[in-house]
Amino acid sequence: MGKKGLAVLVLILCVGLLLTGCPKKTVVKEEPSMRKAEEPVAEREKAAKLEAEKELARIREEEAKKATEKEFEKSLVAKREPGIAGEVFESRLLKDIHFDFDKYDIRPGDTEILKENAALLMKYPKVKIQVEGHCDERGTSEYNLALGERRANAAKKYLLSLGISTDRISSISYGEEKPLDAGHNEEAWSKNRRGHIVILSK
Amino acid sequence: MFLLFFMVIPLAEARVYLDINAPTFVQIPIVLPKWKGVNTTPPGLPVKVYEILANDLTLSGFFKVIDFSRLPSPLKEKGGIPTDVSLIEWASAGGEILLAGETAWKPGDQNLKLRFHLFDLVEKKHIVGKQYEGPSQAVRKMVHRMADEVVLQLTGEKGVHNTKIAFASVRGGGKEISISDFDGAEMKQITQNQSINLSPAWSPDGKKIVFTSYLRRNPDLYLIDVDGQNFRRLTSYPGLNAAPAWSPDGKKMAVMMGMEGKADIYLIDANGNNPKKLTTGHGNEASPTWSPDGRQIAFVSDRSGSPQVYIMGSDGSNVRRLTYEGGYNSKPSWSPKGDRIAFCGRVEGRYDILTIGVDGSGLQRLTSNSGSNESPCWSPEGRYIAFSSTRLGGSKIFIMNANGFNQRPLTSAKGGESGPAWSRQLE
Repeated sequence: MGKKGLAVLVLILCVGLLLTGCPKKTVVKEEPSMRKAEEPVAEREKAAKLEAEKELARIREEEAKKATEKEFEKSLVAKREPGIAGEVFESRLLKDIHFDFDKYDIRPGDTEILKENAALLMKYPKVKIQVEGHCDERGTSEYNLALGERRANAAKKYLLSLGISTDRISSISYGEEKPLDAGHNEEAWSKNRRGHIVILSK
Repeated sequence: MFLLFFMVIPLAEARVYLDINAPTFVQIPIVLPKWKGVNTTPPGLPVKVYEILANDLTLSGFFKVIDFSRLPSPLKEKGGIPTDVSLIEWASAGGEILLAGETAWKPGDQNLKLRFHLFDLVEKKHIVGKQYEGPSQAVRKMVHRMADEVVLQLTGEKGVHNTKIAFASVRGGGKEISISDFDGAEMKQITQNQSINLSPAWSPDGKKIVFTSYLRRNPDLYLIDVDGQNFRRLTSYPGLNAAPAWSPDGKKMAVMMGMEGKADIYLIDANGNNPKKLTTGHGNEASPTWSPDGRQIAFVSDRSGSPQVYIMGSDGSNVRRLTYEGGYNSKPSWSPKGDRIAFCGRVEGRYDILTIGVDGSGLQRLTSNSGSNESPCWSPEGRYIAFSSTRLGGSKIFIMNANGFNQRPLTSAKGGESGPAWSRQLE
């Protein structure tokens, strides 16, 4: 945030110099026809300002992109589990979605989360992900495997519909086997009924 | 290997003391005097035999064991096998049956001998006597066999003391497959891979276990011998490879698989090949279980909007819904006699074990007000049901008589046990 702010400040100063610099030059060079030149000068000033604003926006965008790139890369946390092959990465920028008890349809509010996840993934076409479907502890563990399969695939389908290519997404059900919260109450259960994204390759 | 038994006195007439198939029954009070060591039996041995035997009989659910410490004082210290004449003095023990025995071993003997006699204290007569012979490391097995014989003599049906139960148990961050004897003893962890290992199922010959493992970051099916050898992968189809159930003839398995993005019931060959989808439609289909004749499969489906138990032909034909009561019925297990199906149902917000006739009649609730109860499975003769319960805190394997009586935990573990599967009678 500080760096970004500083960059914007420098840019504003530059633009300021540009704007104040131009008239000075015209004043020096075109002193005799100062009145006549007034209009073109104003137009040029306007154009220059516009140009500078565009530049500013472009730079800002680039800065923001670089910042998110860095943020995304920084956010990746390697995860290894004994007994499960391979290393995966998790990112707090790829947010979990949650499900109602015994349901596997995407909640209306959670479509925004998937859209944000998809927008991020669009910027990194090389990244391959796995969507994990999880359940709370209630009900039989085998039926929860089926439910988790459905949840993972519902999230996967939605991401596919947002344009993520099919070779980038796989899915897996963990049923009730990997709770986030070990508690035995609704607070824990609602956290555990989730669709979670891990990165298989960067 | 070790078995060498003979009848001392042949059975004159078979009398059933207890009809264990009746919906309710009163436990037979059985008197167990101290065991005696003859010759130069190590002093600890009669005590060990006594404890295993008393525990087996208690766990069977058919007996009220009157152990020697609860006998009137003159009888407390009496051990060994009484003569018919001295039988009269046991009348004050308060039991209907007397089970007495002794162990014999002397230096130089390769095998030790266990012999027991069974007496009817009401009619003051001898029922049966048998002797078992085997190496000392087989003593537990020999006592189990003896307990089976006692059950057979008094109920007309063989006991399940030489069966084992496989289940998943939490180890570190994962779950491993373990096997224990029917009495919870001799627990052995047969997988050592630190992964999530689930849903063990026995091969019909009792030699192999098939189960799901996440070793390769997919729920795949694996096989392992009961001694922990020959661990190998069986299937790795995309998505779920879970809830395997061996067909009674051992040739096929019914499996819950997710190749099409949702769980369906498939048939595969026992070598993992030729998957054939049995279920159709848009529901989640889970937890197949075979009828004992191999002609039908019960399973769970949420095609009606909530998980319910259904039955279909083993080719996927003639699907019919079995359960209607309650909004959550799952994990069916077909009884070995073929007449009933046990399952886990939600009743008043809790999960309990229920059974129902295969025609949909005679719904029975076997657990209540005792935590969350899941994953029932039958003993090979159909007299007991093992299941998991959280009534003591963590999830533990419990065993009960098929009518719901005599519920008790299998092992003394703190918890983390799930998905029991009962072996056939092992020899």
